[in-house]
Amino acid sequence: MKDFLYQAPESIKDAISIYQQFQSSAVIMAGATDIIIRMRDKLISPECVIDIKRIKALYGIEFSESKGLLIGACSTLNEIAENEYVKRFYPFLAQAAESVGSKQLRNRATCAGNIVNASPLADTATPLYVCGAVIEAEGSEGKREIPIDKFITFVRKVDLKPCEIVTGIRVPHIPGIEGEFFKISRRHEVDLSTVCGTVAKTGGEYRIALGAVAPTPVRLKKTEALLSGRKLTASLIAEAAELAKSEISPIDDVRASRQYRLDMSALIVRRGLERFAS
Amino acid sequence: MKYKVSFFVNEEPVELYVPANMTLLYVLRDMLNLTGAKDGCSAGECGACTVIMDGKPVNGCLVLAPELDGKHITTVEGLSKNGKLSPLQEAFIAHAALQCGFCTPGFLMTATALLDEDPHPTREQIMKGISGNLCRCTGYKSIIEAIEDVASHYEGGKRI
Ligand SMILES: Cc1cc2nc3c(=O)[nH]c(=O)nc-3n(C[C@H](O)[C@H](O)[C@H](O)COP(=O)(O)OP(=O)(O)OC[C@H]3O[C@@H](n4cnc5c(N)ncnc54)[C@H](O)[C@@H]3O)c2cc1C
Ligand code: FES
Ligand code: FES
Repeated sequence: MKDFLYQAPESIKDAISIYQQFQSSAVIMAGATDIIIRMRDKLISPECVIDIKRIKALYGIEFSESKGLLIGACSTLNEIAENEYVKRFYPFLAQAAESVGSKQLRNRATCAGNIVNASPLADTATPLYVCGAVIEAEGSEGKREIPIDKFITFVRKVDLKPCEIVTGIRVPHIPGIEGEFFKISRRHEVDLSTVCGTVAKTGGEYRIALGAVAPTPVRLKKTEALLSGRKLTASLIAEAAELAKSEISPIDDVRASRQYRLDMSALIVRRGLERFAS
Repeated sequence: MKYKVSFFVNEEPVELYVPANMTLLYVLRDMLNLTGAKDGCSAGECGACTVIMDGKPVNGCLVLAPELDGKHITTVEGLSKNGKLSPLQEAFIAHAALQCGFCTPGFLMTATALLDEDPHPTREQIMKGISGNLCRCTGYKSIIEAIEDVASHYEGGKRI
């Protein structure tokens, strides 16, 4: 790891002004579980690391029916997984948060870091996609809100302007939403998803998102439209699972082949829907 | 550049000047000569570097040295009190929950934090709780049994 300047500002304002001073030669650090590895492997060699964990305003998980859930940028994945509101109103997000890495890792890693890192396999992404979550960002020109599916633009690319930081993630309250997060990986702990996904239902509508099957996580809009308002029969579920495969573009890599990912995607859709059929 | 950090290791106050590009694991091993925490991967994968920071188990290899200011760290060296091993350490010996021993400090810290949080976890919870720690030797069975032993006979470090 190359040497760098370490800064731990105590306010969002100070963090932004340090960021402006160093521009793209600075990186923001939250739980550090991605960036320490990337610095060690010399994939990045920042001049300055801005640790945002001393900023009190970035902590906390709040919920209200009108505003939904607000996850502070420094809230850890274990805090999210154990939060009563998350477990009750967004159980699939709790499952996804708990599926990341290990207990030790989740005591440090944040959901905001998982999203800004923008790996196609980010486990907390698909629950946020099905809920239409919004990323709250702040920079020298003020605050912005960006819908998550606009925020993640490509593999490791997000819509953050220079020197903007994510302050939190807002997840709308969707009364009655039910669903499940699925993670297919080679082993259960400390492994990255080969394919992951969330299948949810609200009223007569279904919401499905998959990860690790395209450059960004994807909402399966056609599959959702096929299912909309219909009674789930075995043949409709089979049709949906087949259609889902046409909405994704997985690749071969170290973890699995494209074909395996297509098959597992269909499996996630089928299992997710079967839960609502009975 | 060096950063001045004041923190606690095993309840003792420590003041050091640390480089930014060093991890907590190497602050312990190279600067404080506490070599219990091990470097198995330096990548968050194996748990051999696990220490307890402000009450929670973390990977020592994924914490930067300057972050330590104001923190409370417990390492395996801090588990015994007045020369007496903790019940968990005794149980690891009684159950032969180690062979080469490389993973042991990490397991002890993860399991200590687990039992601090919930003194009576189920076998399932124990297995889940330690799944961020790798062991190449034991096959885990004896480690799980050692933790179960303490879970069923102790509360708050006292025998019940
Ligand atoms: C052993 C291991 C296992 C893992 N397992 C999984 C897994 O199962 N599933 C999974 O999805 N991921 C996994 N990861 C990846 C990683 O832990 C997660 O992506 C984690 O959520 C990142 O959060 P962090 O707070 O540690 O991010 P950091 O490392 O602090 O930051 C990650 C990126 O986001 C940026 N960033 C962070 N916060 C902000 C902010 N508020 N504003 C602007 N930019 C920000 C940083 O600059 C950096 O580019 C694993 C990593 C390791 C080392
Ligand atoms: S050395 Fe830290 S997890 Fe392996
Ligand atoms: S005893 Fe050898 S790795 Fe666990």
